Formats: sequence, structure tokens, C-alpha cells
Amino acid sequence: MIVDTLVELLGFSAEDPAFWMPLVFMGLLFAIVVAATLLDGFDIGVGCLTLIAPRELRPRMLSLLSPWRDANEFWLFLGLGVFVAAFPNAWGSIMGQLYLPLCLLALGVLLRSVSFEFRLRAPLNLQQRWILGFGLGSLATAAAHGLLLARLVVGYRSGGGYLAFGLFVALCCVAAYCLLGAAWLIMREQGPLRLRAVFWGRRAVRWAAAGAVGVSVVLAFANTGVFLKWSDGPQWSLVACLWVVLLVCFVVIEITLQRMVTHSDGTTMLPFLATLLAFLVILGGLFYSFFPYLVLDNITIWDASASVSSLGLVLAASIVALPVALIFNIWVYWRMFGLSRAPVPPGLNRTGR
Amino acid sequence: MNTTVWLSQIQSLVSLGFMSLFLLIELGLAWVLLFFRLADRYSPGNAWMLAYRFWVRVYALAAILALAAGIPVLIELGSLWPGLLDRIGDVAGPLLAAAILTTFIVKSCFMSAMLFGQRSLSDTAYTAVVFMVAAGTTLSVLWVLALVGWMQTPAGTGFLNGEYFVTDWYQVVFNPSVGWLFLLLAAASGMAVAFMLLGVIAGRASSLPADDSGRQVFRAGAVIGLAAVLLYGVAITGYGRMVATHQPAKAAATAAYWQSGRQPDLILFGWPDEQRESTRAVLAWPHAGGKWLGFDEDGSLIGLDHFSGMQPPVALTFWSFRVALAVALAMLIAACGALWCMRRKYIEHGDLPAGWRRFFSCMTFLGWLAGPALLCHVLAGQAPFIISQTVTFMEVAGSTRPSHLVMGIAAHLAVYSALLLGFIHLLRHGVQYGVVPVARRRGRA
Repeated sequence: MIVDTLVELLGFSAEDPAFWMPLVFMGLLFAIVVAATLLDGFDIGVGCLTLIAPRELRPRMLSLLSPWRDANEFWLFLGLGVFVAAFPNAWGSIMGQLYLPLCLLALGVLLRSVSFEFRLRAPLNLQQRWILGFGLGSLATAAAHGLLLARLVVGYRSGGGYLAFGLFVALCCVAAYCLLGAAWLIMREQGPLRLRAVFWGRRAVRWAAAGAVGVSVVLAFANTGVFLKWSDGPQWSLVACLWVVLLVCFVVIEITLQRMVTHSDGTTMLPFLATLLAFLVILGGLFYSFFPYLVLDNITIWDASASVSSLGLVLAASIVALPVALIFNIWVYWRMFGLSRAPVPPGLNRTGR
Repeated sequence: MNTTVWLSQIQSLVSLGFMSLFLLIELGLAWVLLFFRLADRYSPGNAWMLAYRFWVRVYALAAILALAAGIPVLIELGSLWPGLLDRIGDVAGPLLAAAILTTFIVKSCFMSAMLFGQRSLSDTAYTAVVFMVAAGTTLSVLWVLALVGWMQTPAGTGFLNGEYFVTDWYQVVFNPSVGWLFLLLAAASGMAVAFMLLGVIAGRASSLPADDSGRQVFRAGAVIGLAAVLLYGVAITGYGRMVATHQPAKAAATAAYWQSGRQPDLILFGWPDEQRESTRAVLAWPHAGGKWLGFDEDGSLIGLDHFSGMQPPVALTFWSFRVALAVALAMLIAACGALWCMRRKYIEHGDLPAGWRRFFSCMTFLGWLAGPALLCHVLAGQAPFIISQTVTFMEVAGSTRPSHLVMGIAAHLAVYSALLLGFIHLLRHGVQYGVVPVARRRGRA
């Protein structure tokens, strides 16, 4: 039904590559953003938490992240790559407005990926310094995500109020990543680290919820188009449904974390899954509110997309790379859930060279 | 010129320069490591294997930095030059996507196996993985160079309503400059790695007894350095001729040739003064410069006066080229010196004279100069144009406030210098105390 409406509005036929190719790339971009948030999010969160963790727990927190680092480093590259290749005509108008938050993002990501790997190779007395670098890099990355989100929902308007909103969203975004990281740690590890993670999670969950509400409210009131879409459109039941799911998620997180303080049992995976679902709902809601615009009420994905021949080339390349990416990521991430298992010492089951 | 524009140019150069340092090491070491593996297969003893184990750790450091440094570069392509992709999106999009996908495949399929999988692979399979990493890294660099080369000498495209569209991908990728740029990069990375091999071995010899492995690597470093200098000579000659043909403004700035039709001296050193339109303190070779300048239709030489108001920054272009040449000269001296030191086949430890030891160890990172110098010459040399003769930096620059740009540059410089110091420190530490093996197991921690 939505496809028919769009086809009618744009005057394309549904089989026209100029119509469906941008849609495919939009889907791909959204999938990468979702994957990055779900698979790399806990990584950023645990990184932020190392800043407030006691010194002796930090190395363990980092080594828990170690198996996913190689894959986690790449999400931002892939996202930027798809964006620049598929939507070059929106790339500049969006990125050009975001100089400072993007600087923060670039430096944060640079610092955290380098610090993590260098710590493994550094002498013992310098490892704390690299752990600090990883923590600061993660904090910068999380804050930058918040600032970028804030600029995105207010339509790149600047001024005192918007700056305050940006800082508020940055704070909430850091809290949300901390919640994700803490929930992941609760699931991965027992003992003092789990106990700490429960307390961190409880502190973070309210700020994360406040941020989610704040972003939604500002998104609706700063953009009349979005407000109309939410309240007036035929899909109002869907919108209501998203809100209910989000509410339930936060309540579940709050209750399970509360229970973990008083009872030591319970399902340790539930907070993490609920947090993931909350992230997913927020991202889905944003996507729904923006679609089909990249810059609200200004640039649609069809305005922004590259020529059909370029898109075709990139699509062909993506089709070659997609299986590799999928297999690799499934291979890497298949033990992301549940309690962490200790590695097998080398030489037990293989003959070393 | 507009403050925002030149601050943006500075930041772009800083980020690209930082990335180039580690790209040179990564690219060069990847092939050198493959050579170590192959040499180990066909020679007795484990000297080459010991060398491999040490240098693969250095490679890991460089590869991590090179990849991570790509993030700021990619982001700045949008945040500093927002108008650029609107104009060249059709060309740049697929090339950037190809570079990113190639890097992704190399990293996900081969790099982890190379850095963490040595125990679980057979010798042949592992050597094949090392080859794939070297070849894949080279390929992804080639995609980026194709874009840089195309921005220098556009080919295979049409320009309509301020936007480029592709007519022939073959010509876009194999544009006139890509080959020379690639040879330059290959030679520069060979030199950077050779300097590092010689410097590290010489530095180690001052505190630790020399061993077979060190001696072999030292000789390999000298040979690689000499080969790289020769290749560099070929590449820079070809590049110079190409610039004279396709980019006369850059050629004239490089030669500091101010007035068209005057006697073309080959200026070796001097200080180009843009206000007075002349060069001070000249050391020149009379009449020898004509080969390196462009000709107009009448067959007379093109000087900088052809491009009044649109000329590149002369001093920067002039000096970046000479710095890039000076590095090669230093490499030539170092390589010949190293071969001279090795003329007796079995030097005992401590036989490398103390003077030579200090000389090599001071030059460990000298090869790095070539990267930023060449970048300056290639990119700043065609200013004010970002795409040769059609699109200027001014047109595609953003409207970011200069104060924000200054903050951004300062933050970048702080992080970059911290990471650079970290790299040098880890390398030094590894030379002194040996490297630690790093384990990473899938799904387990």
C-alpha cells in the first residue's frame, strides 16, 4: 500500500530501478545502523563503564570485549560507505552541518579502536593508560551519537535551546549505552562485576528512558510533518504499539534490575534483551518518522541517490560482499549471548607449529 | 582566501598525512612479511621466522592505526567539503565503496587469520593468507589512488550542470596519473619500511648482541631500500613528465618558473617569493628545466603568469617536492652505507661501527616524511582546484565557523600526536624487550 502511494506521488513505475534501488539501499543502510547499534552498542557501553569501574575490574571488562573487536571496528566504515555510495547528494548537506559532533565521533572511534589493540600489546605498566584511552574514546563516541541524533531531529537548527537539547541527548545517549553495556555484563559475568553492573544499570535506565521520550517529543514538535504522520496517519495504531513496547521494555529492565539487587537468581539475559528491544524500537521509530526523507521535508532518498548506473555497480559489489559479511558476522557473533566461556588453552586439541 | 577554506585544507592534510604514515608502513611491511615467510621456506635455520615474528607485531600496530585513521579521513570528506560529493558522487561513490568493501573482505577473511591464526593454519595456508593480506591491501589502496588520480587528471567522464557523470569506467580507473601515483606510493612505502628495518636493527645492535636474524634483516633492508630508491627514481620521473603534460600550473610551481618563455633553469634550491614573483637564494642548473614544464599551443613554455589569481601555493608545492626528493637521497646514502657495512660477509656483533649505528637509528622514521610531502605536492599542488581545472576548493567548502575548525584541528592534533607517540613507544619497547604474542579466540574471553 505504501509502495503504491509512493509510486503515485513520484510518478515512477514500481519496476523502475530509479525507484526501487534507493529503497534497497535505504534498507541496507538501516540494517547496518541496526546491526551496529545491536552488535557494537554493548562494546561502546562497556567502554564508557570502564571509566567508573574500579581499577582492578577494568582489564577483565576489556578482555570480555576482545572477541568482537575485529568485527565491531567495521560498522561505521560500512555505514559511511553505503551512505556515500548510494546517497552522495545528501552526504554533503547532512555531513556539512555536523562538523563538531562528527569530529568528536571520528576521534572517539579512532581513539577507542587503537587504544584497545595497543593495550593488548603494551607493557603492563602502560596498560592502564590505554584502558583510559579506550574509555575516553567510548565516551566521546557515545556522546557524539547523542549530539548527532539531537541535530538530526531538530533539523540542524542551531541556537541556545538546541545546544542545551543536544547536550541533554548526549548525556542520555551515554546513559543508554551504559545501560546496554551493563546489561551485557550482567549476562556475561558473575561475581563483583555483575553486582557493579546491576548498580550501573539502575542508575542509567532512567536517563535512557528520559532521553527516548525527549527525542520523540522534540522530533514531533519540531517537525509538523512528523507530528501529522504520527497522529493523523492511518498507522496511528502502529505508533501507539511502538510506544507501548518501549514503555514495557523500560519497565521490564527496571523491575529485573531491582530484583537482581534483592534476589541473586532470575534470568540474567532479560535486561539485555529488553534493552536491545528498546534500542530497536527507537531506531525503528526514527526510521518510520523520517522515511522517505533523509533531511526532513527537504531531501528524499530519491533526490539524494546517485545515478542508476552507479547504484547498479555498488549493488552488484554489495551482492558479492553481502554473503561474506553475513557469514563472517554470524561466525564472529554467535557466542555473544549467555555467560562468557573461558578460552581453550592452546595446544590442547591441536598440534602447534 | 577564505579562512574556512584554508583551515579545512589544513585539517584535510593533517588527517590524510597521519593516515599516510601508517599506510606506507602497512603496505610495505605486508609485502616484506610475505618475503620473510617465503625466505623461511627456502632457507635453513629459523632466522627469517624470528624476523617474521617480530615484524608481524609491528605490522599489526601499523595496520590498526592505518585502518582507524581512515575514519576521520572519510568523515572529513563530508564534513569539510560538503559540496564535493554533489559534484563527483557518481565517480567517487563506487570507488569509495569498492575501497571499503575490499578492506572489509581483507580484514574479515584474512587479517584476523594472519594476526591471530598462526597456530591453527598449516604453513602453506598461512603463507597464502599473508599473500592475500598484502594483495588485498594493495588493491584497496589502488581504488583510493584511482579516485585521487582521477581528481588530478579526469578521464572517462563528462561534466554537465556542475556534475560529473561517468562515460567509461575503464578510463576513470586507469586515468593518466593513477599508475605513476601508485608507483610513487609503492616506492615510498618501500623506503619507509627499509629505513625502519635498518634503524631498528641498528638501534638494537647498540644494546643487544647481533644475531643471524638481525644480520639478514639488515641486509634485506639495505637491498629493499636500494630497490625502492631506483623505483622511486623511475616513478618520480614519470610523475614529473605526467604533471608537465597534464598539470602545467603544478609543474610551473614545482619548478618555480614565474614568467612564460624565459630561460628554463632547473632550480635545485631556493625560496620562492610569491609577492615578488621571483625565487631568492637560487641554486640552479641553467637551461635544464624545460623537460619538466608544460607547453602551450605555440610551443612556448608555460610559466606561473599564465595562472594569475589561480596559481597553486608556490612555496609549498616547490618545497614538498624537494623534501620528497631529499628523502630518496637520504635513502640512497643509507642503503649504500648499509651495503658497505655488510661488505664482509660475517660481521661479528658490535661490528657495525658506532657512528653508522647512530646514523641508521636516527633515520628510523625518516621515510615517513615522503608520505605527507608527496600528499602536499599532489593535492595542494593543484590548488585552488580540487578537481583539475573545473571545481575549486572554495566551491565545495562548507560554512563551518573558523573557530569550530580551529577547535577541531587542535583536537585532531592532540589525539594524533598521542597515538603517534604510542606507536613509537611500543616499537621501541618491542625492540628492547621483545614482542608479546597476542591471542584472540572466537566467542571466548
